[in-house]
Amino acid sequence: MTMSDLDYSAQVLTRHKRRSTRRIVRDGVLLVVMMLVAVVMLYPFYFMINTSFKSNDQFLNGGGHSFASWAKLNANLPWARELLNSTIVCFSAIALILIVSTMAGFAFAKLHYRVQTFVFLGIVAALLIPMQSIIIPAFVNLSRVHLLTSYWGAVLLYAALGTPFATFLMTAYFRGLPDDVIEAGIIDGLSYGSIFRRIALPMAVPAIVTIVVLQFIQIWDDLLVGLLFLQNTDQRTITVGLGVLASGRTADFPVLMAGSLVSALPAIIVFLIFQRFLINGLTAGIGK
Amino acid sequence: MATVRFAKASRIYAANQAPAVNRLDLDIADGEMCVLVGPSGSGKSTALRMLAGLEPVDDGAIFIGERDVTEVEPKRRDIAMVFQNYALYPHMTVRDNMGFALKMAGVSKPEIMRRVDEAAKLLELEPYLDRRPKALSGGQRQRVAMGRAIVREPQVFLMDEPLSNLDAKLRVSTRTQIASLQRRLGITTVYVTHDQVEAMTMGDRVAVLKDGLLQQFDTPIGLYDRPANLFVAGFIGSPAMNLLAGVSTSGGANVLGATVATPGTQVAADTRIVLGVRSEDLVVDSDAPDSECLTLNVELVEELGSDAYIYGIAAGSDTRIVARTAGRQAPARGERVRVRIRPEHLHVFDEATGVRL
Repeated sequence: MTMSDLDYSAQVLTRHKRRSTRRIVRDGVLLVVMMLVAVVMLYPFYFMINTSFKSNDQFLNGGGHSFASWAKLNANLPWARELLNSTIVCFSAIALILIVSTMAGFAFAKLHYRVQTFVFLGIVAALLIPMQSIIIPAFVNLSRVHLLTSYWGAVLLYAALGTPFATFLMTAYFRGLPDDVIEAGIIDGLSYGSIFRRIALPMAVPAIVTIVVLQFIQIWDDLLVGLLFLQNTDQRTITVGLGVLASGRTADFPVLMAGSLVSALPAIIVFLIFQRFLINGLTAGIGK
Repeated sequence: MATVRFAKASRIYAANQAPAVNRLDLDIADGEMCVLVGPSGSGKSTALRMLAGLEPVDDGAIFIGERDVTEVEPKRRDIAMVFQNYALYPHMTVRDNMGFALKMAGVSKPEIMRRVDEAAKLLELEPYLDRRPKALSGGQRQRVAMGRAIVREPQVFLMDEPLSNLDAKLRVSTRTQIASLQRRLGITTVYVTHDQVEAMTMGDRVAVLKDGLLQQFDTPIGLYDRPANLFVAGFIGSPAMNLLAGVSTSGGANVLGATVATPGTQVAADTRIVLGVRSEDLVVDSDAPDSECLTLNVELVEELGSDAYIYGIAAGSDTRIVARTAGRQAPARGERVRVRIRPEHLHVFDEATGVRL
């Protein structure tokens, strides 16, 4: 290496160092801004957790922590039963949503028939209908067929409300599946039903997980449907139970916070476990 | 192994459009590698898909051996297909991909394993059998797609541009492998490509298609030496044949001021013709008489080492011409060169119909 080569190397690396310093400052500013946003977003959770470990006195007068509110919650809210009810209703509705939306999505994406566009538009149009506008007719219909005294009323309504979006998502996802993979299946001797089960469904796992996570969060956190369509107190979901608790105990804030934490934790855990699938599932089908 | 026959087979998409495949008549011999070649929209892939059963046949018939398979569903045609994008099942390993069709057909597990292992050995895929397609390179995926077809031991292989997604170097090496594999297995193969070099090097016979119509079905050298019409003449061969408009005289033709004998061609005088001359039949010759020569204003010279291609414009016209010369004797850009037309390999076409005379 000649002297001029060494000078050249030193020159380039010095330029890099200056660029690095600028980058460090820029990254530092970004970090501070993002930390502030994180604090703002996470503070309600901190408040909820912190308050749940105080008694009402400690909350009102400041200072100290205890398990008193948790003990009161345990005595006044059948949280285990209500968590189980929430789980049953959630997963039953999600199962129905998946069965319908995956088959419908595959049909819209890969099979072609005359009125296909109209049917698809009809399903997408259902997304525009707010739940609150159909809740009363739904209540009347389900009560006529005596479904308000079992889980089925709520399950069927959640499934009906969740299927349009899930079908839309599955259609978009299946459209991204290469046609020649389907044709390879036909050449290999599969029927369309077998292609759906053995090829399309396994390839659609990211979209399926996305639907499970999004619907789980939506159904788990719902109050209105649970309040109206689960008339038996034994069948109350955790959100409804918490709502009842809140209406009777407006003064005991720490107990409410403890109950909210019990209610929120499963949804948070599910989201944290499956969040990487969400991005894949939501953006799949865009582009080639 | 079986013959394949298209008997005036047509595919029509809409009443107000020309057929995508227009009364195709093709007889492919047992064990033959037949290449369908043509530009985009020529109907070659559609014809292949009709043979596979993925497109309906609107008119005519298709036979595999003696069996009319026109209305037979794809799984019962005893064919195997290699797709342009390989169409491997991404959630299955290489072994499962290759054995999937046999599993669906109810073949026993030991037999599936035997066939898969045999094909993997043939295609050098043994180290990759437990990998998923996303962990393979393009060339490896292409071999898996071939393996998936081979294990089925079909009567006919169908290949739809299987090399088009590979880089140029890999394409050259893989096409040799495919050709030698096909000869070794002896299975009738219908191969679709838009690349005329691929067609010429791989096919026992090549069918040239344009706008759904069969232009010519012949051996590669037959297409090169005796193109049936202007389209085949211009499509086959690289660089493309020079096509020079002119007028026939008694015993010859007058093109761009030069007079050329056209032995073996019976054309009435004063017929408007197109003379086809390949670049190797234009000889740089500064001593040839003016009446037998074309003068080129050289625009570009492509030096390929052993050969050079001279691209120029004929003096007194705007006709572009390409001539081949020895690599170390190429003229420079901007020079004028005289090229003599060798009469032994001329092609004469009717200007109005494009048909060879």
